Amino acid sequence: MSISSFLLLFAGGVATGTIGGLLGIGGGVFLIPFLVLVFGIPMHQAIATSIVAVIATSSAGAAMNVERHLVNVRLGMVLEIATVFGAIFGGLTANLLSGDILTKIFAMLLLIVAGMMAYKMRRAPEETEQPGTGILQADFVDAASGKTITYGVKRIPLVILVSLIAGNVSGLLGVGGGIFKVPAMNMIAGIPIKAATATSNFMIGVTAAASAFIYFSHGHLNPLVASAATLGVLAGSYLGINLGRRIHSTLLTWIFIVVLGIVALRMYLK
Amino acid sequence: MDQQKAVKNKSDRLISRALRIGVWTSSLLMGAGLLVASLQSGVVQVPEKNPSLMEILSRFFSKAMLLADSSEAITLLYAGLVVLMLTPFVRVLAATIAFGAEKNWKFVGVSLVVLCMLIGELVFSLR
Repeated sequence: MSISSFLLLFAGGVATGTIGGLLGIGGGVFLIPFLVLVFGIPMHQAIATSIVAVIATSSAGAAMNVERHLVNVRLGMVLEIATVFGAIFGGLTANLLSGDILTKIFAMLLLIVAGMMAYKMRRAPEETEQPGTGILQADFVDAASGKTITYGVKRIPLVILVSLIAGNVSGLLGVGGGIFKVPAMNMIAGIPIKAATATSNFMIGVTAAASAFIYFSHGHLNPLVASAATLGVLAGSYLGINLGRRIHSTLLTWIFIVVLGIVALRMYLK
Repeated sequence: MDQQKAVKNKSDRLISRALRIGVWTSSLLMGAGLLVASLQSGVVQVPEKNPSLMEILSRFFSKAMLLADSSEAITLLYAGLVVLMLTPFVRVLAATIAFGAEKNWKFVGVSLVVLCMLIGELVFSLR
């Protein structure tokens, strides 16, 4: 591989990380199509690269969120039992499937993500003050209002089930799975959206690590591709999150929903 | 209550520090690997088969590292990736220690279950 190729990979990582950070869906959703469609990298290798990038962005984000007390560490640990189990199963399954089948499954996932983003745009989650009912109670200070928000976790078996599915999708397709976990934690368990997002992000790194060594041992991790793309995604995510605090464009999100739909179609027809 | 909060703050700092050290160390190793690679011939050969963890470690700490030829750029990249992939393991270990400091034995158990699953997967994958 030439030097110019991995500079291009780094730039691609920055771009996909920025978009992922801007939209709050992580870099993997855009990184995998970029690697497959632009670079012609085999699907298994693209998934392995994305898994490593997911570990990096999750770890960097979680380091900040834990200190801000936004993460419910106890809930995260309980749900990680399910996500890790799902991820190991997903990683093992992915290595039994052909790249073509994985690409088609990934295309369907992109359509689901686009649909969920559109749904989220039409029905924004309500940040109501939660009464302290439920188990695994926690609190955090909301930076916007300065108020202390206390909440408890409800209907935990259902959230465990969703976490198992999210972990499985993560191991199988190399994405974080936050797109499934955050709405479940918010709408099913009654966790405020900021705590749900931070706790999901905290878990994603461990979930991804559960399948990372499976891909590594099968020889799907190219050190040049993975390092260049991961450093790019890490820088891009930081940029995207900071941009997202300043730009609140509904139009931009709708444009990316359409782009995701087109990318899904291209991946399916590849 | 204040003492409980102080222990929790300390626990959160421990977890946060574990994550920060992991990300920074791996990023520096990967960055150095890419830099060494770009200062060389311009074309870097990637081995067809991923080396084992022991191979990466022994090559990383050997004197050959100082020669910084093409294969050593690859060793730096592998070392960075392995550190990154092991960071969540260290984070779970840090959480186990933190729950232990809080005397929250139920969650020490939960963390140990997660850690055992991760180590089990690691051993199964690399055997």
